[in-house]
Amino acid sequence: MSTLSALQEILVKEYAIPLERLMPDALLSSLGVDSLGMLELMFKIEDRFNLKIPGDPPTDLATVADVVAYVDSLITGEPGRREP
Amino acid sequence: MIGRRIAVTGMGVVTPLGNSLAELSANLGAGKSAVRRLAPSLAARLRSPIGAPVDFDATPRFDPPRLRMLDRVSQLALEAAGQAVSHSGIDFRAEDLERCGVFVGSGMGGASTTDEGYQALYAEGSDRIKPYTVLAAMTSAAASWIGIDHGITGPNITFSTACSSSAVAIGEAALRIAGGAADVMIAGGAEAPLTYGVLRAWEAMRTLATENSADPSASCRPFSLNRSGLVLGEGAAFTILEDWNHALARGATIHGELSGYGLTCDAAHITRPTVMGQAGAMRAALRSAGLHPRSIGYINAHGTATVQNDATETEAIKTVFGEDAYRVPISSTKSMHGHLLGAAGALEFIITVLSLREHLVPPTLHLDVPDPACDLDYVAAGPRRVAPFRAAMSNSFAFGGTNAVLIAEGRPT
Repeated sequence: MSTLSALQEILVKEYAIPLERLMPDALLSSLGVDSLGMLELMFKIEDRFNLKIPGDPPTDLATVADVVAYVDSLITGEPGRREP
Repeated sequence: MIGRRIAVTGMGVVTPLGNSLAELSANLGAGKSAVRRLAPSLAARLRSPIGAPVDFDATPRFDPPRLRMLDRVSQLALEAAGQAVSHSGIDFRAEDLERCGVFVGSGMGGASTTDEGYQALYAEGSDRIKPYTVLAAMTSAAASWIGIDHGITGPNITFSTACSSSAVAIGEAALRIAGGAADVMIAGGAEAPLTYGVLRAWEAMRTLATENSADPSASCRPFSLNRSGLVLGEGAAFTILEDWNHALARGATIHGELSGYGLTCDAAHITRPTVMGQAGAMRAALRSAGLHPRSIGYINAHGTATVQNDATETEAIKTVFGEDAYRVPISSTKSMHGHLLGAAGALEFIITVLSLREHLVPPTLHLDVPDPACDLDYVAAGPRRVAPFRAAMSNSFAFGGTNAVLIAEGRPT
């Protein structure tokens, strides 16, 4: 399963956000995931992807795609490439 | 009360006896107990496996993003306060919102959030605790959310005086209106203590009732010789208090008048109550209402079913009421809804207003063997239909010694 689908699955299941609103460029803050919600999301990402997030996540994760890129960078151990 | 008169224009409840005024009233009138054996996961590890839970599903009531931030205590509070606002018919958009306020009583605040956090850290050895823990657990969260829900920008205060918290919240809200500082107050209380950690802590104090194995619902027996302690309950109860003329001007239905409030502190012992402290609060409430004890037609007792409280309260009522003590019907509705701690005073004040309105005194259940030290008219046989009466008293006492007494008067006809 792609990182995007896995993240969407978490957001649909745990945050009750409709899948059709979870486009890559969707702003998480506009979907009810505020800064504390983002921290909570990281716990769920750690569990789902079997990762350990070092310290706090970057503060500029704004869209679904941002989070996907960040998770991919943790998986591959390489700095994430973000869409401009 | 010195100053402006206080109208009760709205009431809302989420309680072990039902999640609406109508349900509460029906169950009180039927003398039904909501005390029961707790869910197996809790009961298995408790010596006293009983409680009075609320049947309330928060999922359909709140958006998921908000629900994540709400402890159960705030969920119950928001629902009960919302009901009270609807019941009053008030439109806050038409009000001067800085002259409206929210006063809430709660003993423990977000107890289940604290419990879950400690569970994760200590029991599971996890280093992760929910980012919302502080916001959900803080004792003032329920009051803040109610303020946010209704856009109320005046005084927003949480009172925490253990088991008298919400009687204090209602009394202090009334003083704000009487003194002219506010016109409309949402006042009440909420508590959600049915978590393993809280139940065990109460159990450790040896204050909880032992389970009646033949009939768990009969485990809480106030004023009875074989009483064995209190039964913890959860819930929320809210009133809309309003300046009398303000209520009349907007054509509101007035369900009763809050005419008296008395507040004292035992300043003696952290748990053991004093006759003087309790009697002092009743006297102060009568004085503030300008009433003689003869005018009181019903007392909703604190009546926790602990050995200490029930005998002390009986003595205190005799001290204040003299010969009238034997005439006035008194009941402890905790025999039915359990002890809601910080929410108890608000729920029992609402029950007191209902009894005035319906001329029906709810019973003290399971009082088959009266304690000779508790020899007043505790309405043991069942609900009692009575002639219309002028005023009723609701007693709320507490660990720590803060005694709060409220007096309600019937709707003028």
